[in-house]
Amino acid sequence: MQAQEPLTVLIAEDSAADRLLLSTIVRRQGHQVLTAANGAEAVETFKEQHPDLVLMDALMPVMDGFEAARQIKVLAGEALVPIIFLTSLTESEALARCLEAGGDDFLAKPYNQVILAAKIKAMDRLRRLQATVLQQRDLIARHHDYLLNEQRVAKAVFDKVAHSGCLSAPNIRYLQSPYALFNGDLLLAAYTPAGDMHVMLGDFTGHGLPAAVGAMPLAEVFYGMTAKGYGLAETLREMNAKLKRILPVDMFCCATLLSLSFQSRSVEVWNGGMPDGYLHRMASGERVPLPARHLPLGILSAQAFDDRTDVYPMAVDDRVFLLSDGVIDTCDANDQLFGVERLQQVFAANREPDRLFEDIEQALRDFRGQARDDVSMVEVSLLESAQTHGAAPVYSDSGQSCPLNWSASFEFRGATLRRFNPLPFLLQLLLEVHGLRAQSGALYSVLAELYSNGLEHGVLGLDSSLKRDAAGFARYYEMRAARLEALQDGFVRVHLQVQPQGEGGRLVIRVEDSGKGFDVARVMERPVDNVRLSGRGIGLVRQLGRNASWSDQGRSASVEFFWEIEA
Amino acid sequence: MSVVTEVSPDQKKLTIAVKGRFDFGRHQEFRESYERLDKKPESIVVDLKEATYLDSSALGMLLLLRDHAGGDESDIRVVNSSSDVKKILAISNFDKLFDIS
Amino acid sequence: MTETHIDREALSVLREVMEEGYPELLDTFLADSESRLGELQKTSDAKVLSAVAHSFKGSASNMGAVRLAALCQELESEAKDKSPSEIARLVADITGEFADVRPVYEDERQHALTH
Repeated sequence: MQAQEPLTVLIAEDSAADRLLLSTIVRRQGHQVLTAANGAEAVETFKEQHPDLVLMDALMPVMDGFEAARQIKVLAGEALVPIIFLTSLTESEALARCLEAGGDDFLAKPYNQVILAAKIKAMDRLRRLQATVLQQRDLIARHHDYLLNEQRVAKAVFDKVAHSGCLSAPNIRYLQSPYALFNGDLLLAAYTPAGDMHVMLGDFTGHGLPAAVGAMPLAEVFYGMTAKGYGLAETLREMNAKLKRILPVDMFCCATLLSLSFQSRSVEVWNGGMPDGYLHRMASGERVPLPARHLPLGILSAQAFDDRTDVYPMAVDDRVFLLSDGVIDTCDANDQLFGVERLQQVFAANREPDRLFEDIEQALRDFRGQARDDVSMVEVSLLESAQTHGAAPVYSDSGQSCPLNWSASFEFRGATLRRFNPLPFLLQLLLEVHGLRAQSGALYSVLAELYSNGLEHGVLGLDSSLKRDAAGFARYYEMRAARLEALQDGFVRVHLQVQPQGEGGRLVIRVEDSGKGFDVARVMERPVDNVRLSGRGIGLVRQLGRNASWSDQGRSASVEFFWEIEA
Repeated sequence: MSVVTEVSPDQKKLTIAVKGRFDFGRHQEFRESYERLDKKPESIVVDLKEATYLDSSALGMLLLLRDHAGGDESDIRVVNSSSDVKKILAISNFDKLFDIS
Repeated sequence: MTETHIDREALSVLREVMEEGYPELLDTFLADSESRLGELQKTSDAKVLSAVAHSFKGSASNMGAVRLAALCQELESEAKDKSPSEIARLVADITGEFADVRPVYEDERQHALTH
């Protein structure tokens, strides 16, 4: 048995003999004793000395024990100061009064020191228990405040990262809860140098900081690579590798990525573990589901990662709609899930496409009885391609040492063509020339067009007239993937030449491929067709660059860019 | 106990049955069910017959199990999944990592 | 005679607990009791009688004066119901009982001083 710790005990008793006797008994038990002869003195002494425990006579002059006990309990606040009533009251009503007044126990006269010692011990145990509870509660409250503050800081940092994108573009509509980050939801959008748009809706496992912490490196990769002109596949590979490396084994990020090309009127989709997205074709009213074909990001090693995307044609005003699982998982009072069927019903009932979000939110409210705060939705439409592009990349040098008279040639052969996308690198190289920076969008678009023509039509021998309808579209990309996989020989060459001219300079780009070529004259004759899904590439090159020409039976393309130094 | 384990007599097969909600609360129990064995089993069966619900932390736990059992070299089957559970596993494409039935 | 009036066990416990403080305790008890008796004798207010009797009962029981305590209990609970003459008789009984046991405590005090 543990030895009793010495306490400070207040004895309030009006009978002098009893007071003396009790003081001696309590002192002999090792405690320090304070005395009071009536209730008022007891309260005063309590205020001044803060004893650990009080032995209180019930009937005293000036102020009785009941009133004194009430006042002392108030003064003690949250702490437990046990009060043991001393009484020779026999009626149970009187005893009940003791407890109602805040007494924790009572001791009958004549005093039995063994019983008194036992009661003091028991009361002290309770007192210490209460003190521990309060201490831990305060510790938890402090800790909670630290956590809240950490989250505030994380949210502030993340908001900066998240808003370097283009979510406010005119063709994007989104709904995201204020605490989305802390539910693990991530919504990013950015322009490519060519004016295409990459959009990502992600959902990290877990909540709170662990989920948020993975979001930041992911967002940096997404924005960085998109701005440099990398395609979805490379960006996905990089994001997957990064997450696999930095996250614990049991953490991952479900995500749907889109690459919307206004120029080629198509959307490229990759869905790893997210609920179905939907491509809404306005003309037919059809909603094409975009299901998850891949594991979430951060699970597979780089070798095993599958970066294959699906490509769908889009017409102007068509929309892609993505949602997080917060919608599907909304439960009602009976734990029934909202589910995909109900979502489909909302789609079917929706008359005004612009009101889709409101319809869904209303349906969720009706179903659940209240709104849910962790739902993320985004809708991206294809508008006409005359859009403002995002901000040009920021450079840190002053331009004093930019290269003005140089040429470079590259040849990309065989298996390299399968995996390597040289466009971001080539663009970065060209942007070393300050005069070209203002035209980075046009440069990228033209380079991309010439390169992909050289690769797809030239080396792979694909016929772009296949892309005349949705089925043909899918077939084209299947064939592209298959032929690329099987490719052994073939090359695409890129020649760049920069020379000063007048106050500015001139860039000549020439792209050659090892393919069969095409009938240049015939293609040039075709009118530019805005409805057809293919064949506008040549027109684009002629529009954006100068002196575009094709030679060697279409196997070699050349185009020029000029700039003037601003005065 | 909501996680019940059974080891075959030759210690080559481990069966882990998860009952009720397979969520974050099961984390400790689930890990202990395979970490504490004397001999690493050659194959593992996760029986979800009585599992009513599966969330992303359960998916994470399966990944931890797979990593512990040798990653790509592991032999893990997830059996007796209800249709709800199967749906969740399908959306996350976990059938690419586990044999699911 | 003293056996039914005083609990000797109780006295020896008191002696053991108080040690050198025993004489002081005895003196205090005797002085307190005198003044309580005085109050009982001069008042006729039932409430006051009851309160004083309650107090007296308490210390009497602590000091082992069992019969004195019992008499005080009677006065405490019945002061409001009894007639003045009945009260007077009870008070007289209490006075008498105290007079009977007083020598025991004085004796105890003498005893303590010399040992």
